[in-house]
Amino acid sequence: MSDSKRGGPDRNVPFRNPGWAGNTGEYELSEAEVRGEEYVGIRSKDGGHPSISTTMPYILDEKSPDAPLFEGEYRERLDKIRSRYPDLRGALIPVLNLAQEIRGHLTSETMKEVAAELELSDAYVRGVATFYTMYNKAPVGRFLIQVCTNISCNLCGGDEVLAAFLKHAGVEMGETTDDGLFTITEVECLAACGFPTAVQINSRYYENVQPEDVPALLDRLREEGA
Amino acid sequence: MADSGTKTERVTLTIDGREVSVEKGTTILEAAEALGNRIPHYCYHPGLSAPAQCRLCLVEVEGAPKLQASCITTAQDGQVVHTQSDDALRQRKGVLEFYLANHPLDCPICDQSGECKLQDYVFAEGRKHGRNREPKRVFGRDDFGGDILFYGDRCVMCTRCVRFMNEAAQDPLLTVVERGNRSVIDTFFDEGLEGSPYAGNIVDICPVGALVSKDFLHKARAWDLDHTPSICPNCSQGCNIDLHTRDNRVHRLKPRPNLDVNQYWMCDYGRHRYDWMNRTDRLEAPMIEREDSRVATGWAEALEALTARLEEVGDRPVRAIASPFSSNEELAALRLLVNALGGGEIHFRSPRTDEEIPLPSFPKLTRRKDLAPNVKGAEFLGMARVGDDDATGGLEGLEGFDGILLVVGDALPDCAPDFGSDAALHIHLGSYTSRATEAAHFRLPIATHAEQEGTFTNFEGRVQRFWPGLEAPGAARPGWLVLAALAAHLEGTAVPQRAEEMFLKAGELTPHFQGITYQDLGTRGALANEPVALPGA
Amino acid sequence: MGYPYSHEKETVVLSRGFGDPATRTLARWKEMGGYTALEKALNLPYEEVIEEVKSSGLRGRGGAGFPTGVKWSFMPQEKKGPHYLCCNADESEPGTFKDRELMRWTPHQVIEGCLIAAHAIRAEHVYIYCRGEFFEATQVLARAVEEAYEAGLIGKNILGTGVDIELTVVAGAGAYICGEETALMNSLEGRRGLPRVKPPFPAAIGAFGQPTTINNVETLCAVPHIINRGGAWYREQGTEKSPGTKLFCVSGHVRRPGNYELPLGFPMMELINDVCGGLRPGRTLKAVIPGGSSVPIMNAEECASCTLDYEGVIECGSMLGCASVIVMDDSTNIVKQVRRMVDFYAHESCGQCTPCREGTQWLSRILVRIENGKGTEEDLDTLLELGDQMTGTTICVLSDSAAAPVASSIEKFRDDYLALIRRGERVGAA
Repeated sequence: MSDSKRGGPDRNVPFRNPGWAGNTGEYELSEAEVRGEEYVGIRSKDGGHPSISTTMPYILDEKSPDAPLFEGEYRERLDKIRSRYPDLRGALIPVLNLAQEIRGHLTSETMKEVAAELELSDAYVRGVATFYTMYNKAPVGRFLIQVCTNISCNLCGGDEVLAAFLKHAGVEMGETTDDGLFTITEVECLAACGFPTAVQINSRYYENVQPEDVPALLDRLREEGA
Repeated sequence: MADSGTKTERVTLTIDGREVSVEKGTTILEAAEALGNRIPHYCYHPGLSAPAQCRLCLVEVEGAPKLQASCITTAQDGQVVHTQSDDALRQRKGVLEFYLANHPLDCPICDQSGECKLQDYVFAEGRKHGRNREPKRVFGRDDFGGDILFYGDRCVMCTRCVRFMNEAAQDPLLTVVERGNRSVIDTFFDEGLEGSPYAGNIVDICPVGALVSKDFLHKARAWDLDHTPSICPNCSQGCNIDLHTRDNRVHRLKPRPNLDVNQYWMCDYGRHRYDWMNRTDRLEAPMIEREDSRVATGWAEALEALTARLEEVGDRPVRAIASPFSSNEELAALRLLVNALGGGEIHFRSPRTDEEIPLPSFPKLTRRKDLAPNVKGAEFLGMARVGDDDATGGLEGLEGFDGILLVVGDALPDCAPDFGSDAALHIHLGSYTSRATEAAHFRLPIATHAEQEGTFTNFEGRVQRFWPGLEAPGAARPGWLVLAALAAHLEGTAVPQRAEEMFLKAGELTPHFQGITYQDLGTRGALANEPVALPGA
Repeated sequence: MGYPYSHEKETVVLSRGFGDPATRTLARWKEMGGYTALEKALNLPYEEVIEEVKSSGLRGRGGAGFPTGVKWSFMPQEKKGPHYLCCNADESEPGTFKDRELMRWTPHQVIEGCLIAAHAIRAEHVYIYCRGEFFEATQVLARAVEEAYEAGLIGKNILGTGVDIELTVVAGAGAYICGEETALMNSLEGRRGLPRVKPPFPAAIGAFGQPTTINNVETLCAVPHIINRGGAWYREQGTEKSPGTKLFCVSGHVRRPGNYELPLGFPMMELINDVCGGLRPGRTLKAVIPGGSSVPIMNAEECASCTLDYEGVIECGSMLGCASVIVMDDSTNIVKQVRRMVDFYAHESCGQCTPCREGTQWLSRILVRIENGKGTEEDLDTLLELGDQMTGTTICVLSDSAAAPVASSIEKFRDDYLALIRRGERVGAA
């Protein structure tokens, strides 16, 4: 597709990455540098310092729908989370995040366990869990691919990127591929409007994604998932 | 001087050109109601918190940059409010249009039709014709368990039900799930409201037909129902209620606000026990003894025969069995008659349970242990409870009793057909046919509380009036009238003509009721005089 | 310095370190003068900190533009219980992508700003509420918080000044509305993210029922610079009423999209044509949304003389919002983009107020019909009236925000609508 058809970054740069916008402008940055992987390091499951115990990822590649929620390191993290709020209710969202991190999605049983842990009613927890779109109410694939189609990405071809993902993964929107690898959905603005089209895959952002980048991106994920 | 500190501060404001003075802290909506000016609203309910989310009570307040939600805007001194200004009407009309965007037009099959606040408000202030041409959102119907059905499409998202369960019942079984246009009220998946003892109130406070009672489903149209103020007869709490009747049947009970007794609520136990008011196995004509059988007669003949028999049997010991389901008037008339016959003990049997069911936000509202409405009234009139908690037994002392036996209101379900057969004269005043009353020499049909005017005295001694919502069948008459007529005949005094007069006579019998008139009771009732030690108690 | 492009016309204050991974570390940040402002501020009485920020004229960068120092001064004079500071890092306004850059390139700048503000409002606990999707940026920030705790910059007796401030980074879970300050507090408290009725304002009853101030990430990032260099210095940039520099998030049909730090009052066309490298060859400017999707859309004529400060944009018929400039050239189908924005609001409406819950969906359905060539001219009147009915009638302004692009686009691009209506053509057929 020619430039005149789409907006977005200047296409005349020599190499354009599909993924992290580190060298699509004037900078020469590796993916790890953009993502800050070295600086962040590997965080332990107990959540690290209590002040940041609420920030762990909650969309992981590996999901264990039947794993216990509040045991071992996760119990430690739960206690840290609770210590940061003046009441138990405050801990609800980080604890739901923790539950989804382990199990991949929130079932009624999981909501009940969270409710019991935080002394809230089951219905209340369901009300909160269904308010927020990042909570999966049904199992999702190993990779949850969310394509921004909101205005800035849309102007630059977000709809086409979404269509490319669906086409190359061979799946309908919101559904999971037969191999359980990919679930593809539309997402509202990811706040990466300067790098259209923005795509979130599990907890990572992929920026500047164009329809023609999609096959390689899916291959890369397949490799990671193998 | 000491008073000035406790005096409530008042503010004066002008609403639609009329001045009104209200307590400081009152909202504009409440101040307008004080003037009789109803501002449309859904989410506001006087017994719950106000989230101001229905956006229907918007009014113009001079000096405010935009319309204000009157349910949360407190009245200020000198404030000038316009509820009917062009701007207020235009904006409310707009908000109402949004309510109809997805609301189904199923009024012909909706139970709420006729008492629906969406119908009312749209009729009063809405657009004549809807503009929505888009397909409507469909949620369908959901069984919430217990007596409650939920029609999601009719819901206006006022969240009164959620707040009732959270704040009043403190049994947070309801929530709003999802968000935005997909928001819907729900329980925790398939776990319903079953067993939550006050859940029925959410049907009452639902301003539309989203929450409906299965018991009432498709039974009657709201506009066909007559509403009669009454008192719930199912425990000694004395919740103020309305009987909703049609074709001489009670179709449902609804709570009637009384901040001192039940606020705006009633329990499901009381709400669902009204079938007995519709029983058809009624005594409908006075039955008198003729030779070995009983024959139906008119009242004149019956009373004539009865007074003749009383004279015939002469002075004998008198024993009476009363009922805590009888009114104060009926019980007092019984006491009058027993006194006129030379005095005697009056016992009553009353169902009791060990369990109290309080409403957590207002524990004074409790489904009481006494499962009858007028235990206190009977006690005030010197009657003693006998028997077991299931209202049986306790009558063993009457075996072989050969005096005058009076039974009022107790159908003696546990007694044999020959009960009282040794009595010289056995008079039964009741509402229902019963085998145990067959031996009575006189069986006189009396009205139930739903069929007459009267008062009950609740657990704390509050005397509250009720009004007749049904017509008594056949020749059934208020028990107090029959008993008082007999007493008057024996004493040679005038027969009280109205329940109110009978109540004044009750005041002569017990200091608890002394000097209290129906006027004092009004529609909200009043506490009886300070209890004094009962003789022999 | 802008990212991923920079420009010589930029005035680099907040964006110092963008695109340089080393800036994230505490060591490098300190070399760059980091945390000197914190030390200075903590040794000042809190009133003086507020005065300095007041004198700078700094206005809230989250969209409303309320003077920051004034907001801080609303906190109760007499402290009866805990005070809280919330840093609003729930950046989700379509077109806005500045806070994520601040967090992932200069996390210590965010932390330092938070700590100074916490001191100014006497808060013992700072909550940085990060958008849930920002997992990567949040991890960078979290690491920086860990470093700062280890270095005694957060916690008890910070830098030996006797001031105690705790800081917690929390992640949301996907809800645009939680960027509204009262919804953010509800979310922080573990509730559905419903905006609260005001009054009471957060400074009286905020998070967990305590006095609370909520500031945007970019606002707080400006604070250390103001403390270090003075309010008067800050006023040297920008205009009299809109002082200072601002990150401009430019997206859409420009050759060099991204963040650029410029003084407020910068001419819009200079931003688009010069700083951002202009439109694609052969294209002409059709429309600009200057402040994120919630503000009225501008046509090319309005853009011509527009300066990018709070007042300048209002004069030209829109609002600066969070300075998220979405540029659309003549290839844009306005109806489709407006419909996409309205879909967004319908998706993100919290659902408590009826005009918003029902109105956003209704607008969307009409727009879809028009987009599919099944609209009527009457629909345009209905859209305008529904928009009016949605404006000023709800608890928060999401409803107004959904109505704004509809009303402004019908007013300014009526022909785009009429073309679809009259020709009965679907979008994309042209």
